Amino acid sequence: MRHFQASAVERRVLFKNQVSSHPMEAGWAAEAIFFLIVEEVDGVNAVLNAAVEISADGINWIPEGSVFPSIDKPGHYFCKVTNFGNWLRVSGHIHGEEGEVKASVHLHLKS
Amino acid sequence: MEHIIALDAGLNKYQPLKKIICYDDFDKGLKGWMDLHPNYVGKDFNTLRYSHVDKTQWGPLMLSSASFRLAGTHGSMDGTFSLKLSTRPVANKYTEAPAPGSLSHGIKRLTTHLPKGLRQYEMWYAYTPEQDRQGLSEQAMRAFGVFFDIQDDEYRYFIGARYVNAVDGEMVRRWQIFQAKDVTDVEWAYGVENDWCKMGIDAMWYGKRYPDGSTDGFEWIPDGYQDLCYNESDDKINWSYLRLLIDTEKREYVELQSGSKTFDLRGTKPTLTAPYARIKGLFNPSMWVENDTDRRVFFFADSVLISGE
Repeated sequence: MRHFQASAVERRVLFKNQVSSHPMEAGWAAEAIFFLIVEEVDGVNAVLNAAVEISADGINWIPEGSVFPSIDKPGHYFCKVTNFGNWLRVSGHIHGEEGEVKASVHLHLKS
Repeated sequence: MEHIIALDAGLNKYQPLKKIICYDDFDKGLKGWMDLHPNYVGKDFNTLRYSHVDKTQWGPLMLSSASFRLAGTHGSMDGTFSLKLSTRPVANKYTEAPAPGSLSHGIKRLTTHLPKGLRQYEMWYAYTPEQDRQGLSEQAMRAFGVFFDIQDDEYRYFIGARYVNAVDGEMVRRWQIFQAKDVTDVEWAYGVENDWCKMGIDAMWYGKRYPDGSTDGFEWIPDGYQDLCYNESDDKINWSYLRLLIDTEKREYVELQSGSKTFDLRGTKPTLTAPYARIKGLFNPSMWVENDTDRRVFFFADSVLISGE
């Protein structure tokens, strides 16, 4: 049997301008899926462009290459990643005037 | 046919009571430990009532290899992975209610199945703040603790210990036990009427806090000062031993062992509260860590052993 964890990393947080999730360690896992559960998108022409980032130390982050689709309305979105080492987070920018996003970030890890 | 019982060698670093309720080595997964959340039973799965303390943002749990930016992987005491609690990088001054995310809680949800009597919580643990700046940051962690949340036929009570490491940047290094001062439910809940937490419940974040590190929810253990092995750098962690022995028949503390020091707590009682609905038989071992400043603080548990007689 595989090991599994579903973690509610960020819970219904109101993000302004930037989205970045709490650094998670996932060295035990072979595959990861980040879910963005977006409840509200506010502001003029607000769009969230989010991506997965990895890190050597959990402090300095590098875009891994995996990106979410552009998000301009509430819904469930995901992004898969493998070969990530130990550290994982979601990072993104909210474009548009006074852009705000209320969202949760969930991380599903599997070994 | 002759049967031989072979015990996991990892148990040799513990001294369990006769019946092992659970032995959780986090190299084998999260073993039923998870983040503590409030009750999302309100409209649109929100919380139902107002609380002065926002409990929806506590820092998440994860399985950690204890890997550091300059040193690489520490691993755990036995194996590679430990359960890591992690606060968010936000904190209030000590005398205010804890900031959202300034604590991280692990909880395992069980019920009682043995007759009342001795119960024991053992753990090998370590702690350090996120190594995001130069220097040595022993004072970044405010407190950590372990407890059982128990409800029997007559009472609900929290019974456990808290180590106050630092308060607003000043080192304290003293142990406390869960035992509330005789205050009203409203005083307990920072002046909020009809809060979910009654006096004696959830002292991790309730109960007025004072500048010396005391609170309305804890009592200092006599001669409870203890230097723990923080080590000389934020990326050196030493696994330390903690053992809490209680009696659920007497509803009393028995003793607390931290490293090689044992505190005799016989006769000391936790605060007994009227039972809550729908949690009869509750027996939840828990652990938590709190930061003292705007930093992520990590608490690692190699393993936990809960036992009874």
